[in-house]
Amino acid sequence: MIQLKNIEKYYSSKGIKHYVLRHVTTTIKQGEFVSIMGPSGAGKSTLLNILGMLEEPTYGNYEFMDEDVTNLNERKRIELYRNHIGFVFQAYHLIDEMTVYENIEAPLLYKKIGSSERKSRIADLLDRFNIVAKKDLFPNQLSGGQQQLVGIARALAAQPSIILADEPTGNLQSAQAEEIMQLFQKLNKEEGITIIQVTHSEKNAEYGNRILHIADGVVKDDVAVRDSVKI
Amino acid sequence: MFKLNLKIAIRNLWKNKGFTLINIGGLAIGMACCLMLLLYVNYEWSYDKQFKNIDKIYITGLNLKFNGKLATTMALPNKLSKAAMEELPGFKRSARASNENNVKLYSHGQDNFKLTSLYVDPDFIKIFDYHFIYGDANTALNEPGSLIINETTAKKLFGTQNPIGQRITYDGKKELKVSAVIEDLPKNQSMQFDVLHPWSFLDQINPDDKDNSWGAITCFTYFELKDNVSMEATNALLQKFIVNKEPELKKMTYEPFLFPFAKRHLYEDFQNGKSVGGRIDQVRLFVFLAFCVLLIACINYMNLSTARSEKRAREVGVRKALGSARNSIMGQFMIESLILSFVAMLIAFTLLEVLLPYFNNLLDIKILINYSSLPFWVTLCSLVLITGLLAGSYPAFYLSSFIPVKVLKGFKGSTGSLSIRKVLVVLQFSLSICMIISAIVIYKQIQYMRDKSLGFDVAALAQIDLEGELVKPGKLEIFKNELKRAGAIEAATEYAGAFTRGGNITGDLSWPGKPKNDVSIVSYRSTGFDFANTAGVKLVAGRDFSPKFPADTTTSLLLNQEAVKLMGLKNPIGTVIHWGDNPPLKVVGVVHDFFNESLGAKVTPTVYYYNLRDSKSLLLKLSNKQSLTASIEMIKEVSQRLNPAYPAEIKLVSEGMADKIRSEKLLSVLSNIFGGFAIFISCLGLLGLALYMAEQRSKEISIRKVLGANLSDILVLLNKDFMKLVIISNVIAIPVAYILVTKWLEKYDYKITMNPWPFVLALLTSIIIALLTVSLQTFKVAKANAVDALKYE
Repeated sequence: MIQLKNIEKYYSSKGIKHYVLRHVTTTIKQGEFVSIMGPSGAGKSTLLNILGMLEEPTYGNYEFMDEDVTNLNERKRIELYRNHIGFVFQAYHLIDEMTVYENIEAPLLYKKIGSSERKSRIADLLDRFNIVAKKDLFPNQLSGGQQQLVGIARALAAQPSIILADEPTGNLQSAQAEEIMQLFQKLNKEEGITIIQVTHSEKNAEYGNRILHIADGVVKDDVAVRDSVKI
Repeated sequence: MFKLNLKIAIRNLWKNKGFTLINIGGLAIGMACCLMLLLYVNYEWSYDKQFKNIDKIYITGLNLKFNGKLATTMALPNKLSKAAMEELPGFKRSARASNENNVKLYSHGQDNFKLTSLYVDPDFIKIFDYHFIYGDANTALNEPGSLIINETTAKKLFGTQNPIGQRITYDGKKELKVSAVIEDLPKNQSMQFDVLHPWSFLDQINPDDKDNSWGAITCFTYFELKDNVSMEATNALLQKFIVNKEPELKKMTYEPFLFPFAKRHLYEDFQNGKSVGGRIDQVRLFVFLAFCVLLIACINYMNLSTARSEKRAREVGVRKALGSARNSIMGQFMIESLILSFVAMLIAFTLLEVLLPYFNNLLDIKILINYSSLPFWVTLCSLVLITGLLAGSYPAFYLSSFIPVKVLKGFKGSTGSLSIRKVLVVLQFSLSICMIISAIVIYKQIQYMRDKSLGFDVAALAQIDLEGELVKPGKLEIFKNELKRAGAIEAATEYAGAFTRGGNITGDLSWPGKPKNDVSIVSYRSTGFDFANTAGVKLVAGRDFSPKFPADTTTSLLLNQEAVKLMGLKNPIGTVIHWGDNPPLKVVGVVHDFFNESLGAKVTPTVYYYNLRDSKSLLLKLSNKQSLTASIEMIKEVSQRLNPAYPAEIKLVSEGMADKIRSEKLLSVLSNIFGGFAIFISCLGLLGLALYMAEQRSKEISIRKVLGANLSDILVLLNKDFMKLVIISNVIAIPVAYILVTKWLEKYDYKITMNPWPFVLALLTSIIIALLTVSLQTFKVAKANAVDALKYE
């Protein structure tokens, strides 16, 4: 599904190149649950941003679903966002002016899905995440964990094939974090959604089936998670 | 999608009530100003456009040499209309109109009214399609004794009776019969009258006029062209028409030309025989002003919206990551600004309806909002759209351009947009400062013209028309003596007409040493005895007209200084001057130039001669021993007694003079009001910007305070940036305003000398106002508790 070849990213200042990513080459298949780990400043988020096409690599080749997306124009990128990619952010990034219901509805509107279909999908998501009672509240009326649930529901609404999550539990208490991770695992197992997450926590990484260790912009380790560790 | 956008827009506006209020307030005021000005412009623009055939109706102008300059007048020989109609192709109809001596007494039974009339050819009412209530255009003016009156006059004279066939006494002498009644004329028509007489009636009153030479220019001439006949072609035929008839006139040019009647009101100024604008300049200025005010309001909106960008940036980033196209984000911001501009329009509209009567009153016009007119609604809607789009475009472009990854990582207000915001503020303030300076200069020029020594005793002068019994010299003497005895007046003299209005001119004077080809034109006014004394005009040399010198009634002249200069007389007293067929005339006195006919322009060379028959009014110097009203009451009482048939109408010369600066006053009023609003709106914008800046810098300020900065340090720090902007605006605005006002002042022969103080005043005003506005906000920030801002980091 995703093929990275020799991805490099650097910023040059005063003629000196500061590498963020170097020679990143990897393949992620449909249905994988990949965790990107590494110390602060290692380039995890940059890698995720490149995967999400929010940033462009300085060098290298990126194929998404057998299509070269290294230099994609805005319209095509938006098409991909609408149909294939769901984002989950550490800071939730819900739209403050919209209710829970409307936040989840937004990507469906952009995808131009008919209103009855929209209604049933949202009802389904609200139901699944147990937030039916909260659908008319605004984000600032919810707890962090609830906001992140809404964030995930929003990411799922458009039925993406891949979810990119940048430290989805970074702002949450451990109990809530566990809940979110279980949800991810369930989505990955039962619906076959590819998930790529950036995380600091070894424990969270264990929920996935593959871990990419990054340090100083280089992929140091690429290990499969043993089934036995999983619950 | 649209519904959601709408909902979110409304929520957003509601959440930021302060910003919304400033935004809507600014936009509403801007729109109200703009609408008001546009209504006024429309009013001026629609002058005379009510006539059905307006595109084919032309008024005739005449270019003639006038003291070495080519001048243009709308007065023409009364023979032209008929002769041109008969001899030249292309004309469908032609008509003359004369407004000579046009205010007369009309009576029916016991009711006496002074009404304004026009003497016209029968085709006049076919060229101009007035709306007939009774009678019709084909027959109404066929008899010399018939007349057309307007609705108001009909009501005044006959109440609810059918006025057709009713008798009206004209000037206490002639019996006339009403043949038609027309609807009242709209105020925005350049020809205003209560009564229309047939030209044949004028011929009865002035039988000699029929034999006027081609050189005598006495009436207006209107032509209606046939379809498919161009004005240019006709003008080519018309150009030499008069000089071919009368080759003598060639040295004075005498070239008639057609001018579209629709343009008569707005393009009334001519220079060198070419139309050079006129009121249209003012109208253009107002259109410009209207859009400036609107632009200032829009800039406000742009500024405030982009200032809030930081708050909106995250929303934009998330939406983009969710797959929203840039267009739909732009749409969201556009909808917001359209909602705002719609609400603003509702408020502006209410303001307009409330203020319109005051505005009408102030400018002495009659603007009504025509709710049934399509153009009005179209304008209104397009104004909402234009404002919404104009105001929303920049924020929409700017905000939708955010790159998601940047804003999601944490966006610290981009510096680039701040500089654009600064440019916008500078633009806004420059416009406002220009308006302030112009308003001051206009005000000063008006003051100057009003306070200028006029050279005559303006405060003490009043006038009364000589009519009825007062035309008889014997009765007039009694009248004057009674008034003097009663102590109402100190002196009185007859005068040609209204003292503050222009009068006759002639090129027929000759004086010793006048060059052969000189065609100088001189004004002439008839007076009675005691002229200089009554008017309070200084005599430079010689003496006033006086009954002690019998020759004064036939062969004496007074000149003004301009006339002496024109004639190049070293020793004017005793100079013999020839004037047409009159016996040789002798100059007995020279009066100081005085400004009774125009305030800003030079005095024209004028001769004064004694003639009671030519004098249509009596100039009265009111006594200063009693109050003005007492004197006027007394004059009224005496006039009523001696001349009972005529209502005594006493006009103060000072009022006539005030009328002369009407257009300047209008400009002054409008520039004051709208300049004031422009500054107000700009300040709203500044307030918004200060609000934003205070919010953005609250952390910095808190840190500074913790480090030991005191209140004044922080106020200086915060206000400095804004003051810089205001100073830059001044630097831009002052030269521009200087150029504009010097250009405006060019048209006055007598004008204020430009000095720096209007500019200094504008500079200080703008700085003080801006300082107050900004301090309102910065003070709050500077006083705030430092911990509050710091603890959330």
